[in-house]
Amino acid sequence: MRLRLSNIHQSFAGQTLFTIPSLTLESGLAVHLHGANGSGKSTLMKIIAGLQRPTLGRVERLFEVSEKDNRQAVIYLHQQAYLFDTHVRANVEYGLKLRGERNPAKVDEALAWAHLEQIQHRAAHHLSGGERQRLALARALVLDPQIVLLDEPGSNLDMTSMERIRQMLAELRDKGTGYVLASHQQNLLSQDCDHNWYLRQGQLVAE
Amino acid sequence: MTELWQTLLQAISQLASGDEHLWGIVGVSFSVSLSALLIALLPAISLGFILAYYRFAGRWVAISILNSLLAVPTVVVGLVLYMLLSRAGPLGDYHLLFTQPAMVIGQILLCFPLLVAMSLSAFQAADQRVLETARTLGASRWQAFRTLLFEVRFALMAAVVTAFGRIIAEVGCAMMVGGNILHYTRNITTAIALETGKGEFVQGVALGIVLLSLSLFMNVTLAWMQSNSRVLRQVS
Repeated sequence: MRLRLSNIHQSFAGQTLFTIPSLTLESGLAVHLHGANGSGKSTLMKIIAGLQRPTLGRVERLFEVSEKDNRQAVIYLHQQAYLFDTHVRANVEYGLKLRGERNPAKVDEALAWAHLEQIQHRAAHHLSGGERQRLALARALVLDPQIVLLDEPGSNLDMTSMERIRQMLAELRDKGTGYVLASHQQNLLSQDCDHNWYLRQGQLVAE
Repeated sequence: MTELWQTLLQAISQLASGDEHLWGIVGVSFSVSLSALLIALLPAISLGFILAYYRFAGRWVAISILNSLLAVPTVVVGLVLYMLLSRAGPLGDYHLLFTQPAMVIGQILLCFPLLVAMSLSAFQAADQRVLETARTLGASRWQAFRTLLFEVRFALMAAVVTAFGRIIAEVGCAMMVGGNILHYTRNITTAIALETGKGEFVQGVALGIVLLSLSLFMNVTLAWMQSNSRVLRQVS
């Protein structure tokens, strides 16, 4: 799958936040999106995910093989993951239920991948920061997304949790899923990215 | 004091005996109020959602009007509806005055602003990430809306309980547009007013017990459900 951004212009309260003439993102790639606080990283991620429309310009999704569920191909994860007010397993099942799929084996696999199988019946609101991030990733993984967009995933996590998330991202990539990781500084997670995007003074520079 | 106890005991006995006349009045109250609540619920919650999530010209005017309507006395709503439905009124041709549908319309007008205001408040208090999370996981707009309803379910249930309590206990509007007709539009509150006026306290007290028990039951149920949800969150 390939995402193409063309002539994106985003403004806020009459002020230009950023302008991106052209940008391409492919599944399988790991990208670190750098930018200071307030530079528009989250806004850009939401535009890529289709959660927000840019002021001007368009985002095209080009499917090379088959167009599966377009709505679940690109998944955005908030800096602080929002977990539904139910138990852990039901959170993982959420996206599958939306497409009318009952697949307990797949849910079990995702829970095991995120090391959450022991607490699958615990209320999601009582998870620690690291567990919340893992659950958010498992909830995305179970849908076989092409691209995952992670907004400051390392913030408020201890080193053990960061290391676990790093492993999960590596495994995700091995399955062919690409990810964009937004953060304002280098961290353990960004080390594995092979592309860097810099969002500075309203311009995006890709390296 | 002895007389009061005797009245109370007689009222309880009348309720326990399954007095057809008494329970018929209770039936009218429930039928009218539940109909009004069911009709008003979905439009009111939808309007609450629109006011919470969409920005449009006149939004604050609409919210201010709704909040003002919360304070309108039930008897004023009854008066306006009476004028609209009376033979000389613009809706007189429908012959609705002194009918149960007229009472339902009156109670819709009473509970609608309350339901909108409380659901608006529930949606405004909801985490802004709910809809984005649902959407990014593949929910359609309707599915995301349903997810949001689930997330704010206890606040919405509180709105429903409050609205039901308001309309089943109101007397002004029901008396004016219902007319207190026996076996048709006589409900709990209009019957209490009538029996008290006649000095027949037993039936009034019996119906009062029904209202108080209902209020207690609804609020205890809501509190139990909320507490159960918290217990669920703590189960490991």
